[in-house]
Amino acid sequence: MRRPGIKFWRRLVQFGVAAAFVVIPLLNHLHINVLTGNFLAFRAGPLPLADPLAVLQITLKNFYLSADLLIGAAIALGLAAALGTVFCSWICPYGLLSELSQDAARRRAARRGRSAPERKTGFAVKLTLFVLGLAGFLVFSTTPVLNQLSMPAWYSRIFQFYFEQGHVSLAMVLLVLPAVELALGQRLWCRYFCPQSVLLMCVKLLNPARLKVRFDAHRCICARPRDPCRQACSLSLDPKTLGDAVDVACNNCGDCVAVCKRRGRALCFGFGSHKKNSAAGN
Amino acid sequence: MLRSRFLRPPGARPEEEFLARCLQCGQCAQVCIFECIRMHTGFNPFLSGTPEIAPRRAPCFLCMRCSAICPSDALEDVPREEARMGFARLDRDKCTTWRGLIICRSCFERCPLKAAAIVLERGLYPVITDKCVGCGVCEHVCPQKAIVTIPTRFVT
Repeated sequence: MRRPGIKFWRRLVQFGVAAAFVVIPLLNHLHINVLTGNFLAFRAGPLPLADPLAVLQITLKNFYLSADLLIGAAIALGLAAALGTVFCSWICPYGLLSELSQDAARRRAARRGRSAPERKTGFAVKLTLFVLGLAGFLVFSTTPVLNQLSMPAWYSRIFQFYFEQGHVSLAMVLLVLPAVELALGQRLWCRYFCPQSVLLMCVKLLNPARLKVRFDAHRCICARPRDPCRQACSLSLDPKTLGDAVDVACNNCGDCVAVCKRRGRALCFGFGSHKKNSAAGN
Repeated sequence: MLRSRFLRPPGARPEEEFLARCLQCGQCAQVCIFECIRMHTGFNPFLSGTPEIAPRRAPCFLCMRCSAICPSDALEDVPREEARMGFARLDRDKCTTWRGLIICRSCFERCPLKAAAIVLERGLYPVITDKCVGCGVCEHVCPQKAIVTIPTRFVT
């Protein structure tokens, strides 16, 4: 029997988190308050966690930061600085829905004999939305409005509304978005809109020694038109041309590494530089 | 009117400051053992997910769990006497005691700040003092619906 690969564990964590945020409101409804909160701020016993963007917004607005939020945001940002935006690929429930719809779109395209087109990162669009939203909140609004654009927050909020208040939220329609992504065959929200990921991306870029996917061109046995690694990437990035432009969007999900493992093992995870120096023997 | 006349949980900062700090995480609603705190539903980007209390449905009993857990201090951890949620107003024309029909005392007996926020004038007639923090219990229990709690967020 083959040992389960990185994708198995990743899916396990993703489904686990997605299920946890269905169960947590139920437990709280029974007054078991060990785990409370949603994807904007969360508390696991004594350990606070927080969405760094939500914390950034209210800190800039009020010039005030409570210890809970400082610790919570520092954990999230520290994770992003060390391991990249693994939140998006391992934890975010919307990321899971989006990836599943992307998988379905790939299978559909494969049946029609088409391969996934390579796509640009879309970071500029995201960054614009992020800056506009943040500036809009600081100047005009009283409420941190970018929180309303957080898909994981809406995911957890739907179940908070339903299990704690018996309210069937119209926010369920947001779950139609993966269907739209399926129809268009690309991960729209994660690529072009999600403002929460912008902050995580900016923080990860500050640390050049973070976890990255490395590419060793000498070991690659797939000639140019064949690129199973790019076909495996749910964001349609090309791992063979890893550079800063692609790396901004890369979530370190490891799908390309898993695919390459059965071929030339040219792709692997490593801290620091993208280029693996075979001559130095590491 | 009744829908918009909700209270903020105890210890909430003044409305504008509260909204600027509230993370909409819903922890206050989750730790509320009386299930009086509800998260605002719907898509209004300025209110969605913020906590509210409708005293006619379920009033606040000032257990202060919510203000203790609030991660962003939108709800300040203050003693219950400083909860400043609102002010209760008693309509003496509706109150059966003041009308001289029966001796009721429902509001006086249930008030969490008994004998401070509500006192009995001449040992009989309920009078709401300025110690009232507006938890809404008296509004909830009043059989005549003679009491209305006016939220502090309406006062600028």
